Amino acid sequence: MRHQLTLRIGPATFRIGSAWPAPIAQLTSLYATYPQPADAIADFTVRLQPTSLVRRFIHPSIFITGDHGLADAAPMSLSHGLLAAEMGMNLQMALGWRRHLLLHASSVEKDGRVLVMTGESGSGKSTLAALLGERGWRFMGDEFALLDLESGAILPFPRLVSLKNRAIGVVAGEVGAARMGPLLAATAKGDIRHMVPRADAVAHMGQGAMPALLLFPRFGHAADMRAVGQAEIFMRLTQASTNYVALGEPAFTALTRFVRDVPARAIDFPTGEEAIAMVERLWEEMA
Amino acid sequence: MGWQRVAATKLYRREGVDAVAACALDDIVLLYHPRSGQTHMVISPVPEILDELADGAPASVAQIHDRLARSFDLGPADDAMREIAVHLDALVALGLVRPA
Amino acid sequence: MSAALLVRTLRDPASVAALDASGWNSLIAAARAERLIGTLAFRLADVTVPPAVMPILSDARADAAREARQALWEADRAAQALGPLGVRVVLLKGTAYAAAGLKARQGRFIGDLDILVPVEAMAAVEQALIVAGWEWVKDDPYDDAYYRQWMHELPPMIHATRDRMIDVHHTILPLTARQTPDAAAMIADAMPLGDGLYVLSPEDRVVHAVAHMLADGDLQGGLRNLWDIHHLLADTEPNILEARAARHGLGFHVRQAQRLAAALYGSGARLTLWDRLIRARLLARNGWGRETRKALVFAFFLRSHWLRMPPLMLARHLWTKWRKGHRPQ
Repeated sequence: MRHQLTLRIGPATFRIGSAWPAPIAQLTSLYATYPQPADAIADFTVRLQPTSLVRRFIHPSIFITGDHGLADAAPMSLSHGLLAAEMGMNLQMALGWRRHLLLHASSVEKDGRVLVMTGESGSGKSTLAALLGERGWRFMGDEFALLDLESGAILPFPRLVSLKNRAIGVVAGEVGAARMGPLLAATAKGDIRHMVPRADAVAHMGQGAMPALLLFPRFGHAADMRAVGQAEIFMRLTQASTNYVALGEPAFTALTRFVRDVPARAIDFPTGEEAIAMVERLWEEMA
Repeated sequence: MGWQRVAATKLYRREGVDAVAACALDDIVLLYHPRSGQTHMVISPVPEILDELADGAPASVAQIHDRLARSFDLGPADDAMREIAVHLDALVALGLVRPA
Repeated sequence: MSAALLVRTLRDPASVAALDASGWNSLIAAARAERLIGTLAFRLADVTVPPAVMPILSDARADAAREARQALWEADRAAQALGPLGVRVVLLKGTAYAAAGLKARQGRFIGDLDILVPVEAMAAVEQALIVAGWEWVKDDPYDDAYYRQWMHELPPMIHATRDRMIDVHHTILPLTARQTPDAAAMIADAMPLGDGLYVLSPEDRVVHAVAHMLADGDLQGGLRNLWDIHHLLADTEPNILEARAARHGLGFHVRQAQRLAAALYGSGARLTLWDRLIRARLLARNGWGRETRKALVFAFFLRSHWLRMPPLMLARHLWTKWRKGHRPQ
């Protein structure tokens, strides 16, 4: 491919190739503080290629694929190339990563212990992790938490934080323009803007820690907190994992241990500020 | 009744290769079956039925019922045996138990 | 060309000693694209590789082991469902290699469960599978009719709770194909595995794999099919193979596969012009794992349909497919 970049995020190394220069240039600058070893052997190859020869030049249209791909993935406009690259890397992790149990969850660390937050897109787990990462916690990841099958530790995967719609304003006001990517307007998921994690999150991206609290956040509801049964937690976490089945019995053992050992709560919150207060209070009480 | 005639002669067994890893969470038991890679969530009396077949020897619904009745209060035998037969057939469909 | 690098490495694992990072990236991308990463991982098990490559290969070996386990479980489920019918159920392709413990199984990617059953048992087999929880994947009447009328299988079925596919064949090439292998003879000579399951005889395995690759396919996944053939050939008696191939009308294709397997994975062979064209198609992949030579790939896609169907039917089929947005990759 004409344009390329090798990038290390947490334990994974990606080789990203693109038919166009723009997505690679944006990645290179937003991931400037991450290792970009030009001559590394990558865990995954990501390809941003034209859907056809014509589509390389006229209304450029990106087909996202790589070592692992979805045949029916919808093509994206070149103006959303940064998002395409991020989705390409997520796709490789979701379909190909085998060295940890992958949980679709955000995570932050404090005093050597990890808070894991899982929920659907729109639950606020991403925004919450981003905000906590600015307020004394170490940001570990907004999309995937990696559960080590032997030690039970959570390992970071601190890629760029992908902020959507209203969350963009909330977080951009707090971190400043220098750490924000370009506004990607009107994507399939609405407006998206990426945020670069703080330097400490990147510097310690090889360091895991034991999980101490699991939350199921839900944004946009009156403040509330509920206990969640262990069987339900197990079921929700298997549904939030793309490689639980592929990893077999070690994943079963690790996940049942996680569910038994880590206290959990579901929390509803109307605003980010209230959520942070609830999280800090729960952390004091339970973790 | 028809099911009783069938139940009297139909035998079930578990194979060693179909052993499962079990983990109780609240009142649910998770079973991981390595041979199929599937995780099953079951509740009482399914784990108990599986335990009764753990030795690998074939057993009928009536035999399983009688063994369970030693440790549990199963209520009227007729209803209990009907329920056990339904569970056994479900376990056969999952491949955890085999017709013998 | 990374596909050529992949072929060279499978033939001569020690040759990886000369690879730099870029070479490794090409090799891994090609192996994944050709679904030969597990096979590559097994071939490189005793070779010193860079530290960054080790976890990639051990992940691939673990994936292959899980696939084999799941494939054997699907075979067990099919045996359980079809046992009462008392018909021979012949396992094909990857599942057969795993069940019979053949060398071709090592690291092999296994997708759907493929079985061959006697044509007269098709209706009963279909019914028994439905009772056991399998259901139709497609509810497109055109595709359904096409499969039943012209292909060599039932429309694919998927198990409602296990989410795994089964392809039930009653002959080994579509009824529209020019060659007409004798499926009944293959079933009659199949070897028992127990539980009512069978595998083809060593020679028929080659004939079947060759029919699948050269007489039927658009050569997608051809490098993997040829790797299978390379290993399957080692278990055959040359005289019996020649006779079986002739009997099934595939003598030309089997000889061609022998030449190609020797040229790519063995000690070499003299290739004809047509062999060379196929080799070029098989090796059409660049260092990013992306298919190159689009025209050649497309030509083979057309050819694969040409082989199966008379031209008018082909036009009708492609038109119906393309209107629905389907394109050859």
